[in-house]
Amino acid sequence: MSGLRSFVARRLILGAVQTAAVVLLVFALTEALPGDAAVALAGDQPDPARVAAIREAMHLDRPAHERLADWAAGLLHGDLGTSLASGRPVVRYLADGFGPTLLLAALTVALLVPAGFGLGVLAARREGGPVDRLISSVTLAVYAVPEFALGVLLVTVFALRLGWLPPTAVGYGTDLPGHPAVLVLPVLVLLARPVCSLVRLVRAGMIDALASPYVAQARRYGVSGARVRYTHALPGALAPAVQQLARTVDWLLCGVIVVEALYVIPGLGTVLLNAVAERDVPVVQGLAVVFGVLTVVLTLAADLVAHRLAPRAGVAA
Amino acid sequence: MRKPHTGGVRKAAPGRFVLGAAVIAVPLLLALLGPLCAGEPGPRTVSFTRGDGHWLGTDFVGRDVWQQVLHGGRPVVVTALAATALAYLVALPVGLAAALTHRRWLEELLMRPLDVLLAVPSLLLILLAATVFAPGATGLALLVALVNVPDAARLVRAAGTEAAARPAVEALRMQGETWWRIGVGYVGRSMLRTLAADAGTRLTGVLYLVATAAFLGVGVAPDAADWAVMVDRNRTGLFVQPWAVVVPALLIVALTTGTNLLFDAALAGGRGRGPARPATTGAVRTAPAASEVRT
Repeated sequence: MSGLRSFVARRLILGAVQTAAVVLLVFALTEALPGDAAVALAGDQPDPARVAAIREAMHLDRPAHERLADWAAGLLHGDLGTSLASGRPVVRYLADGFGPTLLLAALTVALLVPAGFGLGVLAARREGGPVDRLISSVTLAVYAVPEFALGVLLVTVFALRLGWLPPTAVGYGTDLPGHPAVLVLPVLVLLARPVCSLVRLVRAGMIDALASPYVAQARRYGVSGARVRYTHALPGALAPAVQQLARTVDWLLCGVIVVEALYVIPGLGTVLLNAVAERDVPVVQGLAVVFGVLTVVLTLAADLVAHRLAPRAGVAA
Repeated sequence: MRKPHTGGVRKAAPGRFVLGAAVIAVPLLLALLGPLCAGEPGPRTVSFTRGDGHWLGTDFVGRDVWQQVLHGGRPVVVTALAATALAYLVALPVGLAAALTHRRWLEELLMRPLDVLLAVPSLLLILLAATVFAPGATGLALLVALVNVPDAARLVRAAGTEAAARPAVEALRMQGETWWRIGVGYVGRSMLRTLAADAGTRLTGVLYLVATAAFLGVGVAPDAADWAVMVDRNRTGLFVQPWAVVVPALLIVALTTGTNLLFDAALAGGRGRGPARPATTGAVRTAPAASEVRT
């Protein structure tokens, strides 16, 4: 198993380098400002007092590498800095927005896996039939649609025309679990793109697996249809799908930001967008590091699982 | 020099092709010809009204929605096309150089930084940049292109490595052909099909990203005539005047869906995105021994 171990080691090193790169990139993108950073951050009408306050808060009089070292050391201790706008620690912002975002993401993933695999296997079983054609065309079409356009259309139909669901989460605060109706549209919109790509991959993998010699052999032995499908064919179709699940992390993140803005859900995406609008650099940096590191870790985990499922399927590392 | 073997192109089912073309026709025509036949903007009236000479009503600052729709497609389409072209402009030379070089360190130097960049979520990168400077349409195109370079370069390298390992390349080398003729004339042409398939999916992704960034207010003026901006800004009046939101949203859906359907139908013949991504760097390049190659 030395091949496996060296793969895991290489993948872990890549993950560590990626984490460091995320931290560096976030710092470079937000602090390597041309000209006077404090003036740029103070906005359209730079008020001298505010410029001075920003310069003080961000220690802009010190060289960049010292600030980077301080900031990175703070990150290691869980100290993400303080907001320029409110003076509150960035960690507080994270804690406030964490609940709704986690709820959205967890619900989405919990529904994504059964829906993706179920529809994929269903389409593969009926390959070429009307059900397969319907699933394939719909997934192909919806796959490309941006969340905000889909979301706004769903609001128009289900909230405006039919009046079945509330249009946004305004007025419900952070008590989302108590009002499940609020969550229906956001989760639907978040699901749309990942489900489509997952269904297509599972379908393709299942069709390949069902046509393979080992499945034919299992059938010849008289193994029942369902058992062939789920214990023999599905695992073979799993590896590419798991890797796709990892790539969906990126999509879910984009999706969460858009969906929270669209449905006015007070999660991390909303916090991020507000901070971007206010040019509250420490908050943006903190959130970006958290999001970036989360992506690196989840991609890493999915790559390792995919490698475990199909050691031949090379994962670039 | 023999033409590169690119495999037979099967005809796609005409039905799906027609469907894709029909879906994309309306938004594309509006985007390309809309600004030409929009005419002079009328005077601003009351926000979010319907009727009163305005076919689709008025928007959040009292402008005619139909006029805005006519103007609003071009920025989305042009930015997306420019970003896709820019991404390949960088990814093609980098990926080809990495595929053709025999120096391992050069390949690592070219590709490893991109692997690292691949880890950063795309929208996050765009939002980060938007925090510290206000990118215009050009800035947005550059950012979206930058986000797409790593993946495109990896694909170019994978396709190029496969083509460069063929006996024909060895033969060309032994004939003393120039790097340009081997790299562009043979390897480049062998990759065309894979690249065309990738360009389709990439354009869909770029359209998604450009529209989403515009919806979030990155790279656009707050009152710009842009379908994504229209959806965002007119949301406040959704219950009074839904057309100002629904029409641009439908056009964006048609544009992205149509692009995807059209490319899928056009490439339905030789699917498979070309060669599978190679397992490890360099493992694929097992050029045949020179003695096997007849020149």
